[in-house]
Amino acid sequence: MSTPVLQLRGITKRFPGVLALDDVSIEVRPHEVVGLIGENGAGKSTLLKILSGVYQPDSGELLVRGRPTRFRGPRDAARAGIGMVHQEQSLIGSVTVAENILLGAEGRSVRAGVYRWSDLNRRAKAQLDKIGSSIKPTAATDSLTFAQRQMVEVAKALAVEEQADHEPVIVLDEPTSVLEGADLETLFAQVQRLRGMASVIFVSHRLDEVLRVSDRVYVMKDGRCVAERDPKRVDVDELYRLMVGRESTGQYFREQEQRPVDGAEPLLVVEGLSKAGKYRDVSFTIRAGEVLGVAGVIGSGREDLCRTLFGAEGYDRGRITLAGRRVRFRSPADAVRAGIGYIPSERRVEGVAMGMSVRENILLADPRPVSVGPFLHPGRERRTVREWIDRLRIRTPGPDTDIGKLSGGNQQKVALAKWLNSPRLRVLILDHPTRGLDVGAKEDVYQFIRQMCGRGMGVLLLADTLEETIALSHTVLVMKDGQISARFDAAPGAKPSQVELVEQMV
Amino acid sequence: MSGTATTLAESGATGPDARPAAAAAPARYRFVRRALNAGPVLALILLCLLFTVLNSQFLTVGNVRGIADASAILLVLAVGATFVILLGGIDLSVEGVMASSSLVAVLLAANDRNGNDLGYLAVLGGVATGALFGLVNGVLHVRLRIPSFMVTLGTGAVGIGVATVLFGGQPPRLLDEGLRDWGIGRWAGIPRVVFIAAVVLALGYFLQRFTKVGRYAYVIGGDEQIARLSGIPIARFKVAAFVVSGTAAGLAGVMAAARLGVGDVQIGSGQLFATITAVVVGGTLLTGGRGGVLQTLVGTLLISVLANGLILSGVSPYVQKAVQGVVIVAAVAATMWTARNRIRVVK
Amino acid sequence: MDRDTAVRRLIAALPLAVLIVLVLVVTAKQPTFLGIRSIRTLLDGAAPILLLALGQTLVILTGGIDLSVAALASLGTVLLAKWLPGMGPGAIIAMLAALAFAGLLNGLACAYLQVPSFIVTLGAMGLWSGVSLSISGASTISITKGYDAIGWIRDLRLAQLPASFVLAALLAVLAAVVIRVFARGRLLHAMGLAERAALMSGVRTPRVRLAAFALSGLFAGLAALLLSASQFSGSPTLADALLLPTIAAVVVGGSAITGGVGGPLRTLVGALIIAVLRVGLSVVGVDPSYEQIVYGAVVIAAVALTLDRSRMGVVK
Repeated sequence: MSTPVLQLRGITKRFPGVLALDDVSIEVRPHEVVGLIGENGAGKSTLLKILSGVYQPDSGELLVRGRPTRFRGPRDAARAGIGMVHQEQSLIGSVTVAENILLGAEGRSVRAGVYRWSDLNRRAKAQLDKIGSSIKPTAATDSLTFAQRQMVEVAKALAVEEQADHEPVIVLDEPTSVLEGADLETLFAQVQRLRGMASVIFVSHRLDEVLRVSDRVYVMKDGRCVAERDPKRVDVDELYRLMVGRESTGQYFREQEQRPVDGAEPLLVVEGLSKAGKYRDVSFTIRAGEVLGVAGVIGSGREDLCRTLFGAEGYDRGRITLAGRRVRFRSPADAVRAGIGYIPSERRVEGVAMGMSVRENILLADPRPVSVGPFLHPGRERRTVREWIDRLRIRTPGPDTDIGKLSGGNQQKVALAKWLNSPRLRVLILDHPTRGLDVGAKEDVYQFIRQMCGRGMGVLLLADTLEETIALSHTVLVMKDGQISARFDAAPGAKPSQVELVEQMV
Repeated sequence: MSGTATTLAESGATGPDARPAAAAAPARYRFVRRALNAGPVLALILLCLLFTVLNSQFLTVGNVRGIADASAILLVLAVGATFVILLGGIDLSVEGVMASSSLVAVLLAANDRNGNDLGYLAVLGGVATGALFGLVNGVLHVRLRIPSFMVTLGTGAVGIGVATVLFGGQPPRLLDEGLRDWGIGRWAGIPRVVFIAAVVLALGYFLQRFTKVGRYAYVIGGDEQIARLSGIPIARFKVAAFVVSGTAAGLAGVMAAARLGVGDVQIGSGQLFATITAVVVGGTLLTGGRGGVLQTLVGTLLISVLANGLILSGVSPYVQKAVQGVVIVAAVAATMWTARNRIRVVK
Repeated sequence: MDRDTAVRRLIAALPLAVLIVLVLVVTAKQPTFLGIRSIRTLLDGAAPILLLALGQTLVILTGGIDLSVAALASLGTVLLAKWLPGMGPGAIIAMLAALAFAGLLNGLACAYLQVPSFIVTLGAMGLWSGVSLSISGASTISITKGYDAIGWIRDLRLAQLPASFVLAALLAVLAAVVIRVFARGRLLHAMGLAERAALMSGVRTPRVRLAAFALSGLFAGLAALLLSASQFSGSPTLADALLLPTIAAVVVGGSAITGGVGGPLRTLVGALIIAVLRVGLSVVGVDPSYEQIVYGAVVIAAVALTLDRSRMGVVK
């Protein structure tokens, strides 16, 4: 039995408040395609970042060809023969294909600062030939189609072979999320070809694709590697169950507090909303006191939908009615005036104002509750801020502490306070609200969501996990490839199963 | 199980609207790139036609020679500035550098203020002054992480200051005939400065196309994060770009001194504007990563033709200055138009 | 008080310390420096810079920069010279309105065309400079008839000190108070520190930007007023040399060039430092031609010190 090319043993990685990877062990054998599947938040991307040298594990070991290795950065990973094909494109548009393939690894093709193009192009061609691509190394990268660029990325990943003394390990991170039809077939053919000269790790949330190309499949969930299976003999149902894990415990999500909303007045009515390239014919209604959950994978269009509803992006067709009035938002400010709030997934950049204090953050969306005319009322300011800190149990040394010092969970609570502070608020859009939060903070968020509903607000929820989506929502929409593929009623006691949802998502 | 049986045909065929993003981006890219390159050339041709029609004197040999002469120094400056702008930075110190380098050169060559007569070494001195400024700009920017506009604003002032200190009241006159000939002489009817500018352009093209200094300027300007992750020593190449810009400005200062016959604090007056306008109007993006010296050549010609045409049409040079101010904003706005979006933060 | 806050407070107090040290050093060299006449001259010269710097502070707080303030002030003096004879005191209002409008145009280009502020204001600098030169025929215009409308500024004294400076200083204080006391006051800092988050919290950032630039233009107009009064004339290049000292005043006062930190009071200290520096240099015997070098070096040093590098990602 040949030595595995790559072995991860007991890899653990922690971030503040979150255990991203918990004792993960996987191995990759020569000329093998290993599939890695798991939901969002299962830990796949953290694992890949460790593999590519961007993160260092807190504990555990990494063995390349049987030898323990430590990657101090992406260069070390490349030198060990690990080539990543990223999910987001990592090519520079304004230089040639050859330059991209050998970026940072030009070596002897550049002497005394001067390029020897014939040499560079030859080396790049060699990599392109390996995958049977006819792309010219002298082509300008931004003249290629998306699928062609992906080929270049693969060639770039393969180029690590020049640096290592053995066959490379190519990692394909969600390579198919924007491919279709013939391009998809080409990719699968590539993977087969790659198998002859390298080992491959194929990461995707698309079950059918992973099962099709892999020799072995690992399933990740909640930072752990929960199973290893043979695709030819696996029961797909079982795979779904492994991916999504335990069925929700209603108590954790305060399911008993979910009140029925049939007959409540409609707050937000969306009809036939379409935006070229993102989503099509989206229609739904959120009633007062209702939580509408939207499930979907990357590329399903749900994130773009949220940003449109908040006025951060425009749309091509359709109408939006809020509290009975037709609205058209030209900016987030319009949406906020109308009564929509948004807690974005990029907390540090968009959700909270880093560099400002807790107090200033809470008052950012609407200073009117603490103002007298145009002036700030210091007494009211202090009281209000204190109230929010108490009510939401925000752990902070004081109201004037820089928000950057708070933990993720507490930052999220401040963001929540910011929106709740505005008396205008009618609908709150939550985009991955519990991402990076510890269990206690998550429970708090669930409770606040219930309270908001109790007060007649509407919530549009894009949750991190299906569990959350199902447990917290009154209604669940599933989006796939830009359209609503299914609608589920989720009254307490009659909730859809996670498997039912996943089927519609992928 | 029905879930897994989704065939590729099904998963792929979701209608024309749902996933065109994959193809759309490159098509738009291609269009923008073509527009960026073709637009200025078209504008140049149109402008030439317009002025020929408006003014019979425009297309005469004498006038064309005048345009070439006036463009030479600007081209040298703009070629240097292109490298910094490709990186995504900016160099506001050109006027100060020109002032200092012109004075260094004149004071080293035969002049009416001291007994030096170093001939061509004086040219070297002037150019080296520029390179030194570039080095300082680059190092301060990279080490102290001060935005390039701020650093170069400061060093530009220092340059003016150094020149002020050096010239001691009255601008020293350049007495070296050989050097003056380079500034005002001709070869085969073409001003010598044009030859110098042509050489600089060729050197610039060589740098941009064949050396790491040039290629990495595109890479770093295109996406600095990717560049860093690929292990490129970014600091080194940023400094290099500023040195190129500074050296070019130094040379431009010497050329201006040769032409005017004096070393003067005000010698670079107005050039900063023209330089940046030339680069931007030519099609090099202010955000970096796109463009090049050939585009800058077109931009330089555009500016010179515009200025010349306006003069011939009797427009006052002050109105020209005002027009240039509007043009630069319009040009940048045009090139950035497609990048506009509701929540974009531009400082 | 944790270490970070302590360090930040220390850095904030630095400019004031520098000012005090400078004054002491200069007085040691020239005891008459603290005499009333010398102080008057100092403050007279500082007032236009303070005004320009106040407007600049507002723009810099939002993270931008206004390179056109000096050219606008020059334009203001030319407009006054042209309009005072005919319009009397009304010319002042007209000039202020015109400059505020010019500033507004800067803001519009930044906010809606989404062009970076340094390009917009660089272009504006050329535009308004060209306009000034055109209107004035590139020459100085004396103000004789109509001078009385502005002449009073020159001679007015408040508490023995030049009214020009006192009023400017009061404006600085007023600005600081408004920023503190108005509910919308903190938006300038918010934009400098976390514009994306502010946008996504419903702040109408374009309007804040417009206001900052318009005010910058207005302050340039006030500076033009002082300059015309003291020079008895208007000239298209009168204020051009003041751009760098203006930026220096803001930065040396302790406001970060990247925005979000600082304010009008810090700029007040900064303007005084610049003014004392000017006088101090000549007292110490440094050739006035070294001024530019000093400003350039001071600006770079001050920026380097006040930069908050932890928050900066990619520096261009």
